[in-house]
Amino acid sequence: MRVKELMEIAVKSGEILLKSGAEIYRVEDTIIRIFGAYGVQCESFVLLSGIFLSAEGEDGQVVTLVKRIKGHTIDLSRIELVNSFSRNLQENPLEYDDAKKALHTIENRHRYSFPTRLAVAGANAFVYTLIFKGNAYEGLVALLISLLIYAIKEKISEIGFFQFFEFFVSGLIAGALSFSASMLFPSLNLYKVIIGAIMILVPGVAITNGIKDALYGDTVSSLYRISEALFISVAVGSGVALALTVGFNLT
Amino acid sequence: MIELVLAFFGSLLPAALFNVNKKHFIWVGLSGSVGWFAYSGVLNPSEQVILSTFAGAAAVGIYSEIMARALKVPATVFSISGIFPLVPGIGAYNTVQLIVENKLSEAAGKGIETLASAGAIALGIMLISAMFRVVGKARVQKAE
Repeated sequence: MRVKELMEIAVKSGEILLKSGAEIYRVEDTIIRIFGAYGVQCESFVLLSGIFLSAEGEDGQVVTLVKRIKGHTIDLSRIELVNSFSRNLQENPLEYDDAKKALHTIENRHRYSFPTRLAVAGANAFVYTLIFKGNAYEGLVALLISLLIYAIKEKISEIGFFQFFEFFVSGLIAGALSFSASMLFPSLNLYKVIIGAIMILVPGVAITNGIKDALYGDTVSSLYRISEALFISVAVGSGVALALTVGFNLT
Repeated sequence: MIELVLAFFGSLLPAALFNVNKKHFIWVGLSGSVGWFAYSGVLNPSEQVILSTFAGAAAVGIYSEIMARALKVPATVFSISGIFPLVPGIGAYNTVQLIVENKLSEAAGKGIETLASAGAIALGIMLISAMFRVVGKARVQKAE
């Protein structure tokens, strides 16, 4: 494989990893491992928002590639697949076309269907209401609310508004619905319903991953991740708070 | 006991939203139970949230490293799902809620607790993975 083609494969692998929520050190390691499989030395510098690569080409010229990365979620199965792809390359270096095809399959791997994810999000709200010591009724209300939030959030992100708005609206709806439910059934504990319902929105894993990056020494990306998590918390929290304030003042 | 079952689903369900492979469902869920077991085991006698969170994360870390080697899957798959019941997402939300209610000093307390739990989890997972790496390297050197 030529160095330019190798670079394309390595960057694509890195891109899939970054967009699936892998740690920075894992992305850098994977890129270096892929180059190593073909016996080429390379320097890789990865941020959450971009990948920078340089290596020496066949004619002694330096080849570089910069790739801007936008948007990231968490997708554990893609991380797993790219990881085994890069390890397999070490034992069995593929040709350019085959490697490209393999990565293409990984990138376009289907997520679980929308109804399945919706059901999972609802069940998740139920479970977390119970974990936070709510009762089954509160769990059921949280389940219904989070079904609606998940569906709406998915629709908003298809239209493609900015992220803050997506979380703000979801929080607002969660607050308004939980408040109405607690008005209808005064025996419900409002705060337990809200906690269950917004569990799918709050960025606990993002904060933890941010600190993980910091401990590995990737301070820039760590700040990026933590501040993003901070903004999401503020969006969700202010959405809920706005709904509750309006609710309490009207009644 | 019922809490362990809840923790099982509390890591399996978010993991499914994170698109984890169907083959690993049971192992991913167990990761959450293991973490919760250690967490509540330390929390009940000591009543220290941060310390217990650290213990829970360390247990998840050990479990994930072992499963990673057994199933040839990156440890992250199990650790991200396993820490989900411990992760302080609700703490982050509560902090904002308290700020809006103008309870600023309580908000500061909650905010610090949130960051500290996140730190404890990250540290717990990473200490364990570093230890496994050191032991792994030592073994390779011995074999040579």
